[in-house]
Formats: sequence, C-alpha cells, structure tokens
Amino acid sequence: MSKPFLDIQSLAKRYPQRDGNPGPPVFDEVSFGIDRGQFVCVIGHSGCGKTTILNILAGIDHASEGVVIMDGREIDGPSLERGVVFQAHALLPWLTALQNVAFGVRSRWPEYSRDKVREHSVRYLEMVGLGHALDKKPSELSGGMKQRVGIARAFAIQPKMLLLDEPFGALDALTRGTIQDELRRIVRATQQTVFMITHDVDEAILLSDRILLMSTGPHARIAESVDIDLDPDRTRSSLHHEPRYYDIRNHLVDFLVDKAAHPKETISS
Amino acid sequence: MSLFRNPFNADTRLACACGRHASPAEHDRAQGLDAAQDRAVESAVMRALFPQDDLRRRFLRAVGSGTAMAAVSSIFPLALAKEAFAQSTGPLEKQKLKVGFIPITCATPIIMAHPMGFYAKQGLDVEVVKTAGWALIRDKAMSGEYDAAHMLSPMPLAITLGAGTSGAVPWTMPAVENINGQAITLAMKHKDRRDPKDWKGFKLAVPFDYSMHNYLLRYYLAEHGIDPDTDVQIRSIPPPEMVANLRADNIDGFLAPDPVNQRAVYDGVGFIHILSKEIWDGHPCCAFAASKEFVTRMPNTYQALLKSIIEATAYAHDASHRKEIAAAIATPNYLNQPVTVLEQVLTGTYADGLGKVIKVPERIDFDPMPWPSFAVWILTQMKRWGQVRTDIDYQKIASEVFLATDAVRLMREAGMTPPTTKDKTFSVMGKPFDATKPDEYLASFKIRRT
Amino acid sequence: MRGEKPWGAPLLSVVILVALLLVWHAATRSTAGEAVVDAEYAALVGGAAASGGKTPFPGPMDVGVQLWQHLKDPFYDRGPNDKGIGLQLAYSIVRVLGGFLLAAVVAIPLGFLIGMSRTVYRAFDPFIQVLKPISPLAWMPLALYTIKDADTSAVFVIFICSLWPMLVNTAFGVGAVRQDWLNVARTLEVSRLRTAFLVILPAAAPTIMTGMRISVGIAWLVIVAAEMLIGGTGIGYFVWNEWNNLSIANIICAILFIGVIGMLLDTVLARAARLVSYRE
Repeated sequence: MSKPFLDIQSLAKRYPQRDGNPGPPVFDEVSFGIDRGQFVCVIGHSGCGKTTILNILAGIDHASEGVVIMDGREIDGPSLERGVVFQAHALLPWLTALQNVAFGVRSRWPEYSRDKVREHSVRYLEMVGLGHALDKKPSELSGGMKQRVGIARAFAIQPKMLLLDEPFGALDALTRGTIQDELRRIVRATQQTVFMITHDVDEAILLSDRILLMSTGPHARIAESVDIDLDPDRTRSSLHHEPRYYDIRNHLVDFLVDKAAHPKETISS
Repeated sequence: MSLFRNPFNADTRLACACGRHASPAEHDRAQGLDAAQDRAVESAVMRALFPQDDLRRRFLRAVGSGTAMAAVSSIFPLALAKEAFAQSTGPLEKQKLKVGFIPITCATPIIMAHPMGFYAKQGLDVEVVKTAGWALIRDKAMSGEYDAAHMLSPMPLAITLGAGTSGAVPWTMPAVENINGQAITLAMKHKDRRDPKDWKGFKLAVPFDYSMHNYLLRYYLAEHGIDPDTDVQIRSIPPPEMVANLRADNIDGFLAPDPVNQRAVYDGVGFIHILSKEIWDGHPCCAFAASKEFVTRMPNTYQALLKSIIEATAYAHDASHRKEIAAAIATPNYLNQPVTVLEQVLTGTYADGLGKVIKVPERIDFDPMPWPSFAVWILTQMKRWGQVRTDIDYQKIASEVFLATDAVRLMREAGMTPPTTKDKTFSVMGKPFDATKPDEYLASFKIRRT
Repeated sequence: MRGEKPWGAPLLSVVILVALLLVWHAATRSTAGEAVVDAEYAALVGGAAASGGKTPFPGPMDVGVQLWQHLKDPFYDRGPNDKGIGLQLAYSIVRVLGGFLLAAVVAIPLGFLIGMSRTVYRAFDPFIQVLKPISPLAWMPLALYTIKDADTSAVFVIFICSLWPMLVNTAFGVGAVRQDWLNVARTLEVSRLRTAFLVILPAAAPTIMTGMRISVGIAWLVIVAAEMLIGGTGIGYFVWNEWNNLSIANIICAILFIGVIGMLLDTVLARAARLVSYRE
C-alpha cells in the first residue's frame, strides 16, 4: 500500500507534572494516515488530546514521541502548507475582513502586487458568501460571518492540508447548518485535504470521508476508524434520508456514550 | 565710600567706617566717573605705600599734599597707572558674558550696569540672568554656565574652602556689591516684644547658611545672651517665601535682604525691628564674584567687567540717582516688585510697619572695596558657628579671595611687592574688630561652637 | 434614558463654575483693618496695610483682570527674564515634547523586548521597580550636577520620569497579546520581525497609547516643578517669578494656563489612542 499523503506514526504527548516528573501521556500510540483529497474528522470527549494532535499537525506544538510525515517529509514547525482555522476565528480585530484574508495571501505570495492580492482575497471571500462585507471589521460581523472569514483566509492560501479545530462550535444551530453545506461544497470543488476536530456527530457524518474515534485520556488512542460511504452529493437537508445514516450515527453515539467514557484498551485500525 | 576719597587729603580718613561722607565724594561726582576711577587708583597706591593709615596722615601733615603727590609720582607712575586702569590692557578674550543675579536690591550694580550701558561701554555684551536661588547660582557659577555671579560675600570664601560644596574651588570676590541694606523684620504680633532677650523659642529665617544675614543675626542674638542654636531656631528660607511664611505664622521674623523687609511692611505682614546698619554700619552684604580661573585666564575681560561694575556701583552710590534706579529695576525683568517698595529701600525714606515714616538715607549703600578685614571677620564667624572646623590661615585666604586686584596688579606691574592686608578696622555692635588677632576675637565670645 | 437633553451636562458644569466663583468672591472680600494712619505713611504701603490690615488673597475679579492682561499680549519679549505668557508656555511645551519623545523612543522598543521575553522581563524588573517611584525633584539636583546645563537637565528629568508608564504599559501590552493571533502569524510563516510590526504592535497599540497618555501628563507636571528650580524661561519659571512678587493673582492665572495646556496635551493623545483602538 502506498504511503498516505499525511502519515502520523505513534504520536504521544506527555506533560510534566507539578513535581517535575513527566506524567502519564494524554495520548500515545496514535497512528493514522490521510490520503490526498480526503476529509477526515476526529471525534472524542474533551481531554483526549484532539486539539493537541491538531496543534502538533499545525506545527505550533511538539509531540513527546512519534513523528508526522507529510508528502514524504517530516514536518518541523508551522508551515503555509498546512492552513489552520482556529476554534475562535482568531481574526485580527484591527483589520477588515478583506485585510485579514489579504494578510494570509500576502504571507503566502509576497511577490503579488496589491491588486492581485486584493483580487485573490475578494474571490475567496465571495466564495464563502461575504462579498458584501469586505470592509467590515470583525466587531461588526456576526459569529458566523467571522468564522467564514477565517475559513476564507485558510482556503485563500491554498494549503496542501487544511486543519480545522471545532470551527463551528461557537455558532448557533441554524448558522452552523448553512456553513457546513458551504464548506462541503468548497472542499469538494477544490479537492482540499482536510483534518477536522468536532463534537457534532451529524456534522462529522455530513462532511467527512472517514471518522476517527478517540478514546479518553490518559493513554488515549484512536479506538476506531469509520469509513463514511454515503452519497457524495449529500447535504444537510438530505442527510437524514440516507438509508445507512442512522446506523452510522448510532454507532458513533454508542461509542461516545459508552466506550469513550471508559478508558479501556480497544483495537486501533 | 572710602574708595573714592581723596587720599592726598590729610584730613580724610581712608581707613575708617564708612557712612560718614566727606565732600570729596561729591566733588568726584561733579567731575564725573573718570575722576572716581583715578581716585580709586590713587587710593590703592597710597594705601599700599602706607598700610598704616596713621603713617599716611602724618606724612601728609609733614610734607603737604602737593609735595606728597610729587614724591609719590616720582617713585610710582601714578599717571600711567591711572591711564592703564582707565583702558583695558588688551583685547577682550570673551565678549558675550552671562552674569547671574538674585532679584534683591543688593544686586543693583550688576543689574544697573545693563540698562545704563556700563557693560556696553567696556565692549561687553552681558546677559544678566535671574536665578532661582543661592545654591543654584553657586552651582551654575561653578559649572561655568555663568562667567561671574552675584553671590553673598561669604560664599566665595566657602567655595574656596570647600565648605558646603563637593569640592574646594578657588574663588574670588573682586568687588563688594553693597553695604548695609538688610534688616530684621518681625511679625506684627510681636510689636510689643522687641527686646531680643524675650525671643527664646522664636523661629527665625535667613536666606542661606553662608550669608552675612546668618552671621549678623547670630551675632545680634548672641550679644543679647541668646544662643542661636539652642534658644531659637534659625532656618534657611528663600526670600520670597519669607513674607509668606511670616504671614502664615510659620516664622516669627527674619533677617533678610531687601526688598523682602519692605515688602513685608507693604503687605501689612510685619514691621522692621532694626536695620542691619545699626548692627554693623558698613557691613558688606552681597558680592560680585568670579572663579579664580576666570580672573587669571581672561584678565582683560575680567578687568573690563570689573570696571563696569565699579562704575555702576559709583552711579548707585549717588543719592540723586536712587529714585531712577528704583524705577528701572522694578520691572518684571529684574526684581519684579512694586516701585514704591524699592524706592523706600533705596532712598531710605520708608514706612516701618508701625505707623511711622523713618528717614535713614544710608539704609543701603554701594561700595565695591573688598577689604580683606571683612573676609577675616567672616572667617572668624564661620569658625565660631562650626561651619569651618579646621585651622585656617585667615590672612592668606582673605587675600586670595577678597581681591584688591586692581591695586595688586598695578603694584606688580610697577615692580613693587603687593601690600599686606588689614586696612580697615570697624566695630560690630560697639565691639571693635582687630583683623590681626582673629583667634583672640573668636575666643572672646561667650556663645560659640568651637 | 428617555428624553435626555444633550445640553444637560454642559449646563450643570456652568452652574458649578458660577457657584465656585461666587464662593471665592465672597471669601476674599478685603480684610480692611480699622487703624487710621497718616497720609504720608499710607502712601508708602499697600492698600490693605494702609488701614492696618494684610494684603488679601485676590478675588476672581483681580484674577480676571490679570488674565486679560496676559491674553492681550501673550508673546512679548522684553529681555531674558521677562517674556509673555505665550512664549513661556511655548518653552515649556517644547521641553516637554523633547523629553517625552526621547522617552518614547527608548521606552517602546525596550518595552517590546521586555514583553516578548520572560527572561528579559525578569532581568530588567528589579531596576524598573527601584527607579520608577523616584520623584523628579530628586533627579533634578543629580542632573544639574552631572549635566550642568539647565535646559538639558530639565529635558533629562522629563525623560526619566515619563519613561516608566510607557515602558511598563508597552511591556504589558506586548506580553498580553492573544496567543491566537500569534498562532495565526506562526501558521502563516510570518517572520518574527513582521509579526512584531504587523501583529504585536497593532495588538498592543491601545495599551501603549494609554501609557503615552499617562506619561505626557506626568511630563507636564514635572516640567513645571523642574522649571521652578532652574529658572530662566518656561511656565514654571513664570510661577516662581510671580511668587517673588507675591502676586497670587498671577500665580492663579498661571495655574489656569497650566491646567488648560495639560488638558490639551491629554486630548491630543486621547484622539491618537482612539485611532489605534479596536473592539474584539
């Protein structure tokens, strides 16, 4: 089997205890792969280290053990090849929506002229439906709009891999629904490779090609990997009409309620 | 005004307490200021030749003034000396000068020389700069920001001895600014308590520790049996704050330079108890001072500056000019006081604070001669109150700091040895001072710190 | 609040002002004594002393007259010790700006360094804590002694006193930048220098401006005190000169001017602070 595009091998993270000795690992022996163009979600309870894994992938945190290889090279620190959408949008509040996206564009392509940067940024903002709010500051945008700017910024740099850390956690149900559809549409159009963390089971089923289930820490690991082979053209409204939807859903919920709550050894795949 | 007396007149006393004007002074005035300068040179020469004034007078009585003049001229080129003194001996090393002053009437000659054009006459462009306090004027003079400054007459001595400063720097006092001109002022509430013996527990103020005011006040108190360190409190307070403090009842009185005393009367806050003239008539007060470095490194500039000050002093000495001077120095640029206050100080016709108008024309006077005996007296008082604790060579310091420079230099140029000092005797509160016996004088006081 | 009138607050201010002026006027009516003195004596002393009293504290009318005198001709120059109030204020403002800008140039970069590195912060902290509370009047003699030149000493004292609020605020602002924003810059591979200028600086700007506002207030305070000590020119010197003349009315005028200029300086910086502020 050829090596996957993103290859995580035996990742582990330990934090030092108060007395200075290293404590038990939050997670260890975490290994999985993501192919190009795949959308992979990770689901698990709080404290299992999902965000830490994402931070390690983003390069802003380091693993205590294990290695991450992307496109044949070990990663070392943050990179424009791995774009991030943070949990709390992390927009720079003194810049407008357009300037925020342009910030990312200019970092990626410093040789671009001002017009090119602007044109590129506007394109992505329109893609997330914010063409009318280019010159608004984040304080003038709703939560959903802010998150969309964050997504636009991440997409605009055209990274090899997109990392999303519970991007819709702070939004209300209705807004969430709309943005999820949009995200799926964009990802499919751009064939983006994505790794996302979420609590929302329905969201995971809607968006992903594969769902990784993480047990709870300490010693958390990938308990199971579930392939989602539903209709590729599914949307939010059509999702629950899918025949296998409830099977998958129940399986996931069972895991969360039952197995994830009990830190027992389970088979990783 | 002893510098301007006729030394060839057997009847004039050159070496006596001033304040009793003889007519030669008026005669000089009539002939203009050049005559005053000539007299200054002659005076200096005669004094150098006859350090004991008695001898001079006997000589003159013996040979008559005409012969005396001829005799002296044959051994000393008086005419040349006068001419030499009248012109500068060379090009000015520095023309733009800064002279600091404190805004009190003592600084009148330094200030007057500016609008009256005496500085300009010598080719100097002098900026007179009002300064905030004695310590500051000392610091600025020592750092060189001021080329010369108005100081209290003990200050050049203190700076040379290193008392109250971080290092001893040789300083000089080529001229005294004024004599008399101070007073003890008390708060209105003490108008029935004027006997100093009743002053135990009083809080009194003086402008600075190294000042004639401090020494005169202490002398006055000690003569009345009050110990200035244990029976009363003496504080240094800047002059403008003295009136405010008096008003606020923080102090009971002060010995201060004018116009502070008259201002206290003007504002109804205090009354004038005694003029400093009545403690020691002819005492020096403030000085025109310069560093020894300035005097030696820039002799021509120094001489020009000194000449302008001497001229200004002579002008101020003249009673007919006093009203005009008062008007000129009252402006915000100089003393910034009501004109009437300054007029009362300078003319000597003043309100005493208790409803009476008093006339004392010599309330303040201007005589530039820096008698070394003044220096010795100041040094004895500095020792008396513990400001100087080491043994000092009185005469040496006096002659180095209090310069009879014109005479000294003229003597040297003529190839003669400089005169020894001790040429003016005086009494303070009736007790005579012999500058040859400073230690005995010091020991004669009951109240002292040594 | 229903029906809140826009002119309510200004009207109240005016009412308070008028009330204060009336109280002042009533409190300073002349304290004329009863004593009768002869005419010649009366001519030689001040108005109050002529009738046995003390020269009183000036009332609002007297101050008003003096105020008008100053405003009529604010820029006259009649010699080194006598200049118009406008010129004196200008001298002071120039000194303040000089010391303040110098302090800004030192404080902001240094504050940056301290804010960005815990080690640097701990290294500098003891010095800052010891030097911060030192009064400007204690620095003054030291400055005069070493620097000697009075003007430079004044600027130095302004510098050393307005340094601390800017330094501390900058360090704090820089250290408190949200980690999220720094992570954004990291994941976009923005160089440390660009991050400092494009992310940290704008993020910390409001706090830095607050520090500058505090500093300019302190600088203005200090210059008045410093000029009273060194004399020469400036509003502090003006106050001292009028104190010599016991002209309380002029001193009150000076106080008013000092207050107004202080307010203007603060307003300018408040405007500037608003330009860089942002809402999260």
